[in-house]
Amino acid sequence: MNFLNSYIYYIGAFGLIFIGLYIVLVKRNLIKVIIGLSILDTGINLFLISIGYISKGTAPIFEKVEAKLARMVDPVPQALVLTAIVIGVAVLALALSLAIRLYHHYDTLNLRKIKDQRW
Amino acid sequence: MVNPVLLIAVPLGLSFAIPLLGLVSKRIEKYVPIAALIFNLVVSALLIPEVIKQPINVFIGGFPPPFCINLVAGPVGVLFSALIALVGLLVSIYALDYIREGAKELYHVLYLLLLTGATGVVLTGDIFNLFVFFEILCISSYALVAYLGDKAGIESAVKYLIQGAVGSSLMLIGVGLLYGLFGTLNMADIASNIDSVSSISIFVPMVLLITGLGVEAAIFPLNAWLPDAHSSAPSSISAILSGIAIKVGIYAVARVIFTIFGASSILQFLVFLGLLTLLVGEVSAFSQNNIKRLLAYSSIGQIGLIVFALGMGISYGVVGGLFQLISHALSKALLFLAVGYMIYRTGSMDISSLEGMGKRMPITSLAFTIGAFSLVGMPPFIGFPSKFLIIRAALFKEEIMFTVLVAFVLLGTVIEGTYFFRVVQVLYFKGDHTNLQREEAPVPALIPIFILMVLIIVVGVYPKPVTNILNSASSELLNRIEYIRSVLG
Repeated sequence: MNFLNSYIYYIGAFGLIFIGLYIVLVKRNLIKVIIGLSILDTGINLFLISIGYISKGTAPIFEKVEAKLARMVDPVPQALVLTAIVIGVAVLALALSLAIRLYHHYDTLNLRKIKDQRW
Repeated sequence: MVNPVLLIAVPLGLSFAIPLLGLVSKRIEKYVPIAALIFNLVVSALLIPEVIKQPINVFIGGFPPPFCINLVAGPVGVLFSALIALVGLLVSIYALDYIREGAKELYHVLYLLLLTGATGVVLTGDIFNLFVFFEILCISSYALVAYLGDKAGIESAVKYLIQGAVGSSLMLIGVGLLYGLFGTLNMADIASNIDSVSSISIFVPMVLLITGLGVEAAIFPLNAWLPDAHSSAPSSISAILSGIAIKVGIYAVARVIFTIFGASSILQFLVFLGLLTLLVGEVSAFSQNNIKRLLAYSSIGQIGLIVFALGMGISYGVVGGLFQLISHALSKALLFLAVGYMIYRTGSMDISSLEGMGKRMPITSLAFTIGAFSLVGMPPFIGFPSKFLIIRAALFKEEIMFTVLVAFVLLGTVIEGTYFFRVVQVLYFKGDHTNLQREEAPVPALIPIFILMVLIIVVGVYPKPVTNILNSASSELLNRIEYIRSVLG
């Protein structure tokens, strides 16, 4: 139980990452693949946050005298996640707009049926 | 002294200024990338002699590393930024006339953003910053592959986007693991502490980083997107993707392996991967009938050769690999630019439709021939000294294995020669030449083609100045102690 308590965030994060990867690799519908990418992104963001997370910690601001260094949450991963979320949004927006154009051309989103380009 | 941060700030600012300038006049927008890239080229050229003596470190925010995001303008970084600016400038001159339809304003914004991302990747000294610039590069290239909006372009952009997004996600997990292990994102700081943890625990982030970056670098077996994306994009974008984007991926892989991890044990694996990439690329190119796909597969082959040379891990090999990287950037840009207007004139990408081009477009055909001969490695073009250096380095290793591997490299070159000579034969000697009109490419396209031809021949005849820069670049890549010392002091 102790193990689960200390690693629960990592388990959740990698769970999401593997679910996302599975969807991207296996699903045929482009929209589902994009959803998979989104879950993958969420998993990574959770993973980054949990690297610096301390349970019941505080923000790293030295305004009070009694603020304890050991209770402060590392702010760097949160800055990373902020950037990663923005990048993820850009990729997803582009992917969805490409999906719309792809549907106009092929009348389907099934990736197995879209294979004009091949080796 | 010029501040290297301008190499990133000026093109980034100008790219977002394009829509604003478009409000003033619609005719300015296509000249903005040219102005920005001339600036970058001049600054990089001014910086080269300085950074050979002493790498320049820029601390953003005024904190000393490892607490800030820092830029490291060493010989490698400035050499790459000069190459990016040079090829980017020539292609943007070409695009003046070539890009006529679609959202032209956005094309120029994305084009400049792509090159900003590439410059940022080669200059940064912070691994998360590298990821961010890499994403700028990737997202703009996904959008530019789909620029024409036709069936093939959209389909390849979707494929490229899915593979690229998974790749950069893997890279981000690697960055997160490294931060968890070392509590820092500064590449020099990570490198100096890398021996303090067990090799098992750095193996996973290393594999994730190499796989993630390898997708953009198109190392076999992560290269499935490349032939589609490079062949369906507009030709000016194909030239940039083949000439610059995949080279930046190679740079990032080399930086991760040599500087951050100092992993000499993985180099053997890299050599085999490079050779496999080379053979797969050349053999697939051999059976193509579509001229742009042929060039795209040939890019895979050349990437393999560069990885092979870098993987030797000795100074001669790295110099050869970097030289091959420059020679491929110039030659492949020339080939794509030349092919762009041939396709424009014939309306088809079939090799057989290029019959009689030697008479219809003599200068462009000559450019194609020079680019092809240079890639194959014939003197007096730039491809000859670069391939020569790689083979000399492999023989210098004096190991049976490398002697055998070089035989395979030469086999790849023979295959390459066969398919390029076949195309050149179609250009000049096939078909009926009697009733052909001369319809040369327009002047804005001929200027960059001509400059590239001159560069390929001049550097091929007189490679000494380039190899001088490459020598200090290769010592920066191989000597990680010196890199750590120059950043952390």
